Amino acid sequence: MNASVSTLLATAVVAAVAAGAAPVLARDAGTLIVAQEAEPVGLDLMRSSIQTTMNVAYNIHDTLFQPNEDASIAPRLAEKWEKVDDLTWKITLRAGATFHDGTPVNAQAVKFSFERIADEKLQSPHRAKVSAFTDLKVLDDRSFTIATKQPYAPGLYMLAYYLPIVPPGAVTAAGDDGYNAKPVGSGPYKVVRWTRGEEVVLEAHDAYWGPKPAYKKLVFRAIPDESARIAALLTGEVDVISGVAMHQRKRIADGGKAYLTDQLGNMPYLGLNTYKPPFDKVAVRQAVNHAINRELINKALFGGKAILTAGAFSPRTFGHDPALKPYAYDPAKAKALLSEAGYPNGFEIRLSYPTYIPQIQEQTEAIAADLAKVGIKATLEPLERAVMWEKYKGGQHQMFIYWWDDAPEPDRYIYPLLNSKSRDYYYKNEKLDALLDKARTVLDRGEREKVYQEADRLIQADAPWAFLYVVPEVFGVAKAVDYQGRRDGFLDMRTAKPKG
Amino acid sequence: MLRYVLRRLRHTVFVLVAISAISFFFIHLSGDPVMLMLPADASDAEIEATRRQLGFDQPLWVQYGRFVAGALSGDLGQSLYYHVPVLDLVLERLPASLELTVAALAFALVVSVPMGILAAVKRGSMVDFLGMLAALFGVSMPHFWLGIMLILLFSVTLGWLPTSGRGGIEHLVMPALALGMSLLAMFARLTRSVMLEVLNLDYVRTARAKGLPEIVVIGKHALRNALIPLVTIIGLEFGFLLGGTVVIETVFAWPGLGRLVVQAIFNRDYPLVQAVVLVLAGIFVAVNLVVDLLYGLLDPQIRYRDGKETA
Repeated sequence: MNASVSTLLATAVVAAVAAGAAPVLARDAGTLIVAQEAEPVGLDLMRSSIQTTMNVAYNIHDTLFQPNEDASIAPRLAEKWEKVDDLTWKITLRAGATFHDGTPVNAQAVKFSFERIADEKLQSPHRAKVSAFTDLKVLDDRSFTIATKQPYAPGLYMLAYYLPIVPPGAVTAAGDDGYNAKPVGSGPYKVVRWTRGEEVVLEAHDAYWGPKPAYKKLVFRAIPDESARIAALLTGEVDVISGVAMHQRKRIADGGKAYLTDQLGNMPYLGLNTYKPPFDKVAVRQAVNHAINRELINKALFGGKAILTAGAFSPRTFGHDPALKPYAYDPAKAKALLSEAGYPNGFEIRLSYPTYIPQIQEQTEAIAADLAKVGIKATLEPLERAVMWEKYKGGQHQMFIYWWDDAPEPDRYIYPLLNSKSRDYYYKNEKLDALLDKARTVLDRGEREKVYQEADRLIQADAPWAFLYVVPEVFGVAKAVDYQGRRDGFLDMRTAKPKG
Repeated sequence: MLRYVLRRLRHTVFVLVAISAISFFFIHLSGDPVMLMLPADASDAEIEATRRQLGFDQPLWVQYGRFVAGALSGDLGQSLYYHVPVLDLVLERLPASLELTVAALAFALVVSVPMGILAAVKRGSMVDFLGMLAALFGVSMPHFWLGIMLILLFSVTLGWLPTSGRGGIEHLVMPALALGMSLLAMFARLTRSVMLEVLNLDYVRTARAKGLPEIVVIGKHALRNALIPLVTIIGLEFGFLLGGTVVIETVFAWPGLGRLVVQAIFNRDYPLVQAVVLVLAGIFVAVNLVVDLLYGLLDPQIRYRDGKETA
């Protein structure tokens, strides 16, 4: 008797909720809702290098230039720029650009921003990327010069990504932590509120200098579980989602309510510890490269959409050598190389990987299986992010998988990853260092390309890594929204618009 | 009674201090947070400077002392990751966790207690068998799987409920259900076994002999004693639910403490982990104090006199 009463009650509750729920799920067409895997840590672009945080911040903050997909730049807050000499640029800001609080975007604000990002106390993760610039002089309200100590070819491109222009008044008044919670920027969207753990609500900045975004309101939510995120897209609760794994894509594509837009990509790589045996011998490193069946992994895990890399340079990065071919899958050759190097029976090795990279488990298992076929017995060592990083910096890994995004500008990843001045934990090649240092200073694009191509060849031959592939990053987008995704994967939504 | 409460409060302080010390030392064993905080290319000199700035170069007991000094004045420190006071972060997420915990418990109780009583009263019958079988299913289903299934059914297919997040009651239904299922099994079986025990006791036979209607016999006399173990379990489960629901919180994007503290551990955000542990411990201890006081109400045989339980 009691059980059935409670069942009746429960049914009544659900029915009542269902009846009342319908209007809740309806939404207004001027709002775009984006769901990511995690919520932002803060909203100050200068203080975080985490993708999910930068995704939100790039809508709030503008930089001087717009980075293009071929490593060139276009005007943004800066209207024109001219080379004064090999070390100095003169930049003129556009007139009339304002911050969300109405104060003007002027040269003094640029100087303030530049000094802020360089300030050690702020501990900006982007500081090093713009540290080549040492000197900024304000000429007048709208123009300034910025100089480097040595010619630095990627300079303006780095500024385009990593130096947001912030208002001195608002930052000083709020303090760094206050500003991190509620920033005032100069981007197309301004912050309305941030309910931590739930959502960030942004609204179009009425006085924005550029084309007004098509969506008046932009909301970022965090839905960590992938299935729940996809469900939210399919029910129409959200419009755009990131982080769609391979095996889920069919569901979205077939569902009829949303479509996939994929953009290459991310570049996982297999790093080798070249300071210790067995990877101190280049033949062994090349053997590893020949042992991995990347075509099969591509077909099985990435639907054939990944691009195999010949060397450390992605084929989509400026400066790659188009004549280079990826290491062929050749287990026989791998075995021969190993014998030559003194390991006819292979060896045992640890393969460490961080658990947060998507599909990493499947990739490492496939790689380990391939290595086993040539006699290399790899023990898999999954590590959580912090431990993986600590061990990485301590040079404790033997073989490890990490990744990077394949930026169009090589200095954004080749230098940080392979120049020993940046990271020397597993590899040091003075000849490569010299090439990369030189490439930074060559301002002529054609000449610069040649230097990088030489570096590409050198890295491939010396094989400090087992080169893998570039994998696509996939976004799910509701049918009513037209959004193509960006190559760098950042969810900068100013270009999204209603379809039809 | 009052003396009993005061004595328990003294114990509470003791427990909280011990917990804070133990958790402090354990958290610091997990590794160095500074390397995670700074950018990849930070020099060794910078790492050292940051360590010094945050006081991580001091011996552990000095760091603990500083923490206690701050805690006594209400300052539990600043999150290393979010750069806001940790107490603010915890208090922001606490209502969501409480809401989910209470809803899950309420759902579990409303369904399981009648189910257990019925199973006990009609022991050996089909009702008993089916009831306990349903309970077995409930406890065997992994609750993240159940959560996802609920989303697929009620959100994607039927469109009745939102998929995730926190909002009105329609957002609470599925997470509470998914979380409550395993509790339901436990409560139902417990209720059933205690009721079985109690229904055979002398005073129940007396009540029946007095001619009282069966529903009063069961509902008033028998149930009251079954409530004692039930209330004990609820007290224990409350604490686990409050902090241990990270999986459900992940599936339903519920902004609770479970996810907050797990992320904090991955980020080596010591002050935040410490704050969550302390707050949860405090609530746990408070809830169990309430449970102990309830015993006095539920069973006149248990009374507190002169600070001692007497029977």
